[in-house]
Amino acid sequence: MPSLYRLHRAALYAAAFSIAAVSMASAEEIIIGAATAQTGVLAPYDQPALAGLRMALDELNAKGGLAGKYTVKLMIKDTRSDTAQTATVAQELIDAGAKIMITPCDADPSISAGQLTQPLGIPTLTLCGSAPVLTGAVGDVMFGTYPADNVQATAVADFAVSEGKKKVFLLTSPDTTYTANLPEYFGKVFEKKGGAIVGRGTFTMGQPDFSAEITNIKGLADKPDLIMTAAYEPDFPAFIQQLRGAGVTIPVYGADAIGTPTIKALGKLVDGVVYTAAGYAEPGSKLEAFNAAFTKYAGHAPESTYEVNGYEIGLILDQAVKTAGSDDPKAIRDAIANLKDFEGITGKITYAGTNRMPLRPVALMRYEGGEGKHVETLIPDASDVPAP
Amino acid sequence: MVAAARTESKPRGFMPAAFRNATADALCMVAVLLLVALAAFFFGGVAMQRVVTYAAIMLTAVLGLQIFSGNSGIVSFGQAAFVGLGAYATGILTMPAALQRTALRDLPQFLAGHELSFFAALALVLALAVFIGLLTGTPLMRLTGSSASIATLAMLIIVYTLLVAGREITRGSQPFYGVPREVGLWTAAAVASVALIAARLFRETSFGLASRAAANDERGAAAVGVDQRIARLVAWVVGVIAAMAAGAMMAQFLGAFSPRDFYFDLGFTMLAMLIVGGMTSSLGAFAGVIVTIVVIEVVRRFEGGGEMLGLHLPVLFGLTQGVLAIAMILVIWRRPTGLFGERELNLLRRSGRTPEMASAPPRQVGADRLVADHLSRRYAGVVAVDDVSLSFETDSITGIIGPNGAGKTTLLNMLAGDVQPSAGTVSVGGVQRQASAFRFARSGIARTFQNIRVFPSMTVLENVVVAARQVEPDLAHAEAAAMRELFRMGLDKFADQPAARLAYGQRRRLEVARALALKPRFLLLDEPAAGMNAVETAELVSILSAVRAERRIGVVLIEHDMRLVMNLCERIVVIDHGRVIADGTPADVQNNPAVIAAYLGSRTARAKAASPENQPA
Repeated sequence: MPSLYRLHRAALYAAAFSIAAVSMASAEEIIIGAATAQTGVLAPYDQPALAGLRMALDELNAKGGLAGKYTVKLMIKDTRSDTAQTATVAQELIDAGAKIMITPCDADPSISAGQLTQPLGIPTLTLCGSAPVLTGAVGDVMFGTYPADNVQATAVADFAVSEGKKKVFLLTSPDTTYTANLPEYFGKVFEKKGGAIVGRGTFTMGQPDFSAEITNIKGLADKPDLIMTAAYEPDFPAFIQQLRGAGVTIPVYGADAIGTPTIKALGKLVDGVVYTAAGYAEPGSKLEAFNAAFTKYAGHAPESTYEVNGYEIGLILDQAVKTAGSDDPKAIRDAIANLKDFEGITGKITYAGTNRMPLRPVALMRYEGGEGKHVETLIPDASDVPAP
Repeated sequence: MVAAARTESKPRGFMPAAFRNATADALCMVAVLLLVALAAFFFGGVAMQRVVTYAAIMLTAVLGLQIFSGNSGIVSFGQAAFVGLGAYATGILTMPAALQRTALRDLPQFLAGHELSFFAALALVLALAVFIGLLTGTPLMRLTGSSASIATLAMLIIVYTLLVAGREITRGSQPFYGVPREVGLWTAAAVASVALIAARLFRETSFGLASRAAANDERGAAAVGVDQRIARLVAWVVGVIAAMAAGAMMAQFLGAFSPRDFYFDLGFTMLAMLIVGGMTSSLGAFAGVIVTIVVIEVVRRFEGGGEMLGLHLPVLFGLTQGVLAIAMILVIWRRPTGLFGERELNLLRRSGRTPEMASAPPRQVGADRLVADHLSRRYAGVVAVDDVSLSFETDSITGIIGPNGAGKTTLLNMLAGDVQPSAGTVSVGGVQRQASAFRFARSGIARTFQNIRVFPSMTVLENVVVAARQVEPDLAHAEAAAMRELFRMGLDKFADQPAARLAYGQRRRLEVARALALKPRFLLLDEPAAGMNAVETAELVSILSAVRAERRIGVVLIEHDMRLVMNLCERIVVIDHGRVIADGTPADVQNNPAVIAAYLGSRTARAKAASPENQPA
């Protein structure tokens, strides 16, 4: 759940549209239950993703529904960003006949809802939860959709190795899963591919002064050629400002949480900083076309890659129902679990061979002169991704 | 009802009346809870049962908050932290060993692999709660009012930080998962029922009475022998036990949680529920939880839109919070003390029956002596009491008089152990005593105050029972003794009214009744007749002389009403500028030139002294 902590503006799409309960005269109906945060702290993450999913389902329903056959009825219930409430509404959605469950962008409520769907075999997908532990904590019905923290870390490590980096300093914070674990995942892959971890430092989120960590970095006998951190605002700007101010020019790499306008606005200070994104809209790419279509659908441009991620959930479900050839939840679950090289909007998505956190393209970006430049997009190898 | 009345007419039933009344109330609330659970079980789906289960868990937590905050008057922000501790402890104790090895790799050995059942874990968690309650409650005892509230807030933050930092045990900020989910509707309803009974009965225990008295008036409570620190500590520990029991259920109800689930959000939700219902009663906690959950559940069903009575309702997420906020504002605006305010159901009290009076006449006290030895008290250079040595006997009535500001009340406060002397000592029965109002009260020195200090939100009977409970072996005896004192003061018919409703003179008499319930050897009265009319004063005089005659106690009173003093007292001490200027019979004192000088000026005194019939005493 990297970007959980990025502050997006809460857009309550849900209020703008009525439920996609299109009563088509045709064929059968499949209920997708969405136990998602319409209000509360998770809403800024759930809402963009849900809007993308809604758009996909509307388009699919226009063509006859999932696999052209099962008209989708999307039932949305508000979890109020509360774990207990998530479980309650998930149960209500199950009672209402949901055959597929969509859960919030966070691990706790997703696990709570998953514990209810697991015994019933109802496939359950988190909108943008990225903690790799999420799927293991529930069982075989739980799927992640967003690039997991360990997948992102693997992509960055692959890139660093390809650049010829040898020695890394890991800066972590125990305060969140994301800041604690992502650099460590990076370290595992980096060591496996011949690199070395020459030092580690920790910080407390919100601490204004990084001089202790910077002195530590400067004093290392074995000079690192890279600093890896998952720090984000306000820690990342404070850290890099003080680091560069102290005359340290070692490159700093991070992940998706620093792909924000605030960090971009730091200009020359962040030149050379590498970060990740779920996709990059190159001219002529599918993602660019999606962004245009979404703008037309919702009346505003996507705020992040959550929208396209939500849209891709719709496509994944469509494909799974096609493969399953029925609306049986267990068959749909099996179909998702065996998905391999599925062509999404951002690139190929693979569940087969993973612990149900997908392998999917990670776009590597680098700040140059106040702009995020696309470096490359890669899909890490499943065998490289460290265990959660 | 007839049968019940007959049981009650015996001097002592199987249970004191207050407990009987509380038990009836508690069972009534439990019955409502169980009816709701039954309805959910038979007519509701799985989802509805989950809602009721959640409500029962929250009820347990909110009752824990009510036991502490409702009785002690200190708002606790920290209760959510203890729910969290209970949840984590239960999670670790009940988690399957296999899962524990992967989810909690670095768990210390002594915590690993217990795989207890829910109730076994609950028993351990409750034992842990006693320990944690004592540990956290001890520093709290030294604080009062808002500083105690802030301390509970600090506890919330400390526990949260510890949960996040204890990564080996709690997985830090990451989700804690893999807790088996054995807590269902009936377990939650059963634990909540126990909590309901505990919360309702706690009010009537000596600790509950004492904390409520201290919350009403701290000095007044000390004067009737209440050690509020102990009472508050017990209330805190019981509150922590309920919170941790709720946490144990919450862990198994959620299955996955992280420290932020037990932080400010939960703390404020609990407080909001309690404030809506009414903080000072268990009925308030019960009603607050029910009303809040019902509002949420009803409104929630409309926010998804749809058809209702032919109307098309728009999708309106956030409606729940909106309606809840408006409901809370309405409650706070229209009923600042909550829906049920300070009232319990009081099922058995409504019928107007009260505990039987103890028939035995009050005991006479043995001879004793209250001695002030060279007492002085200075306030920043002002000498309020200056080297006063006096001795008071039982079976006597002494009046202390003197002009305003002479130091009479300060002297009385020192005699009652309420004010630490700057120099000199007070001894009772030949034993020197350190100043401590509640210890003095327990050792036979009772007092009243110049500005009345009754406990306004407690009933008249409870006011006296608080005091009687300090000297009687149990609540039943205390109730009987309290009724006897109320009867003596002519207040028995007001026994079940809140003391706040009494008229001024009645409150004065209540304070005297309360002091007498301590079975004192000495009764110190600070202006007992102030503000009374002539009829009331005459009544008071006759009551005081009768009390003195019956029990042979020593009465010391400060009074400005000269007629009362001269009629009632056999000895009069006159104080001026902190010194004793005269001490003797009313006749002696009336003619003492120093006294006349103090009251009327020195010229009058000389004139009086010169007249032939006044020889120096």
